Amino acid sequence: MPAAPQFAISDLVRELRAIVGPDGVLASESELLAYECDGYTLQRNPPTAVVLPRTTEQVVAVVNLCRRENLPIIPRGAGTSLSGGVLAVDGGVMITLTRMNRLLHLDVRNRRVLVEAGCVNAWVTREASPFGLCYAPDPSSQPACTIGGNIATNSGGPHTLKHGVTTNHVLGFEIVLPDGQVHWLGATPDGCEDVEGYDLRGAAIGCEGMFGIVTRALLRLTPAAVAHKTFLGVFDTVDEASQTVSDIIAAGIVPGALEMMDQLITRALEEAYHFGFPLDAGALLIIELDGLPDGIAAQSTVIEAICHRNGAREVRVAKDDAERAALWKCRKRAFGAIGRLSPNYVTQDGVVPRSQLPVIMRFIRETSERCGLRIPNVFHAGDGNIHPLILYDERDPGQVQRALAAGHDILDKCIELGGSVTGEHGIGVEKIDFMAKQFSTDDLDAMRTLRRVFDPEQRCNPHKMFPGSKRCADFAPRKQAAA
Amino acid sequence: MRLRPPNLEELRHALATANARGVPVTGWDLHALNTLIAHRPEDMTATVETGMPLAQLQQALARQNQWLPLDPPFPTKTTIGALLAGNHSGPRRFGFGTVRDWLIGIRVVLADGKIVKAGGQVVKNVAGFDLCKLFVGSHGTLGIIVEATFKLLPQPQAECFLQRTCVTLQEAAALLEQIWKSSLQPSVLDLHRLPNAPLTLVVGLSGPTEDVTAQRATLATLGVRDETNLSYDAVFHTLPSRKLTVAPSAVISTLEQLGATSFVARAGNGVIAHASGVATPANLPSPVLQQRVKDAFDPKHTFPSL
Repeated sequence: MPAAPQFAISDLVRELRAIVGPDGVLASESELLAYECDGYTLQRNPPTAVVLPRTTEQVVAVVNLCRRENLPIIPRGAGTSLSGGVLAVDGGVMITLTRMNRLLHLDVRNRRVLVEAGCVNAWVTREASPFGLCYAPDPSSQPACTIGGNIATNSGGPHTLKHGVTTNHVLGFEIVLPDGQVHWLGATPDGCEDVEGYDLRGAAIGCEGMFGIVTRALLRLTPAAVAHKTFLGVFDTVDEASQTVSDIIAAGIVPGALEMMDQLITRALEEAYHFGFPLDAGALLIIELDGLPDGIAAQSTVIEAICHRNGAREVRVAKDDAERAALWKCRKRAFGAIGRLSPNYVTQDGVVPRSQLPVIMRFIRETSERCGLRIPNVFHAGDGNIHPLILYDERDPGQVQRALAAGHDILDKCIELGGSVTGEHGIGVEKIDFMAKQFSTDDLDAMRTLRRVFDPEQRCNPHKMFPGSKRCADFAPRKQAAA
Repeated sequence: MRLRPPNLEELRHALATANARGVPVTGWDLHALNTLIAHRPEDMTATVETGMPLAQLQQALARQNQWLPLDPPFPTKTTIGALLAGNHSGPRRFGFGTVRDWLIGIRVVLADGKIVKAGGQVVKNVAGFDLCKLFVGSHGTLGIIVEATFKLLPQPQAECFLQRTCVTLQEAAALLEQIWKSSLQPSVLDLHRLPNAPLTLVVGLSGPTEDVTAQRATLATLGVRDETNLSYDAVFHTLPSRKLTVAPSAVISTLEQLGATSFVARAGNGVIAHASGVATPANLPSPVLQQRVKDAFDPKHTFPSL
């Protein structure tokens, strides 16, 4: 496994500059500050240097340099990940792809698009929409997060319930392996979606940057929905809203999105964005149907009936595209509104079978009472993918410990209920300890076997995912930018 | 050596023994492992042993009005294990994708007899690497999949399949382009020419009754109005055929090059099965990396080679 740099940092910087140019390397203490963590701020450590390549050839040259000097490589996109997946645990060279952000070729006829890895998620749909196409995976961070990062974490989003996650929409990609070799995995830009041999594309999606550096990707575009209908169901209790989710699925309807927000988060959102949410509601459901107009009209009647049967006090319908967009903007910026509630928060990303939603929501409520911390919830109810936001104040060390313990209890409960400790954020450094709870030693060995195929020296994004990984020396919560 | 284990424990044991002695395992029959372990309709998931034929699984799921939206040609003969190993699909692939899109968890017996799992029981899960993807389509070269968990869908409220015969490929091409550019959302978009039969375009519609009715009216304006079914796919696949895959935009030009042969083409996906003598040269990308996968998971090459 790569160790801390053996040769002078000034030499490293000089060599990196020779590869990417003088403006492509960051190495001063102040410049590196922005790269010492991602959205998971409880652990921080700066890389030895950050390099911003513009071409695949430059990435290869940087990788070869790291190999020669036995340095860790940490691939990074926009750094919006939420579990420490891009933390430079032991220093090393952080390869940041944000300058490789071009959309290279929009192939309307074949409904696919070739992009560089640093291309921002939302740009893809923006460019494709004039042709009636969209890129389906829509993580809440989509105005900032990159396609390369999406591939690394197999990102989801509110609309994955019906349309699938990143792996269902990435046809192929170019990856630079830690030995400096460049491979194209999966479908090529002019080729068929079926490729001979093992599905190395699928195996590498969600590898959390531990197999190599993705440099270009071929994405599947989906015909944009002809029509939408977006409901806001207002309920007195989380239980009623949870039951509504189950009943909609049981009725044979798979909405485009099915999201829940509890009272605490609704109040914070209303204060921040003034959408007009009812402040006294126990829970809100955003239910969005997409597809063709006739089917939507028929399913709408069923949805409204199910909501009312479960005690909905009101079912609003977004009156036009502007109102629908405003509603989604609020939902996707929910984490940003937390700053109004608390100086710090830690978000969890557990998954339970949909039918267990009422159980896990009750458990979260009990956990909140037990640990004396508020835990608002805003999450992908249709997928059973919860996002409890545990609020704490870092100035009180007792609260920090209780927040961490509460998160652990909730994730343990997700495993107990037959679920998973992460639905879309990844393991990173945050959830390493849970891997041994969710998987057996043999399961983990099989994963390690796969990793060795791509990265036998464990150079790429080391100290992640697997139990026994090294941790940051300064494991200490610091100031968190919650807004 | 072929394995026909009466249960999982015997399978583990037989495999571990063969592996230890360096005896190659050439095939296996898992018909004894054919239990539907769980169907959780409220979660829209099911866990099944892989010896069960697909048709039997579909029958069980249908009791709750659900299905695994995959339609390979011979569902009564195709076990879940074969479906996964061969990554088989059928006409509805255009609308519903392939088994990789629906598999959320597996249990596999590796060459040394160890049982490992990947994924889980929930529809969204990124804990650990996605070994499910690796094993789908691996043709039994890495391990024996003994259990699979799928996400499911409600059965479509309505389905219909409509066809129009075409005189020339150019006529079919023009029709395809019209459908491609329209707001239609077909679940099937096939072009076929069976032996001694005309060139035929097939469009499938699946979904809420109202959508199927409305789209059907639109298709009628394009002259696609004769009701049909999907039996042509199985009929064609009883004959010897070769597979050819291209980008969707290249389907018509590829068929032109094949000449007057019979074929079934997934026009929306670019997958062509044809009976012509034109062989497609093997094209295994990243062969060294592929071989490294094989060697890592099956170091003694107990399973068939890649």
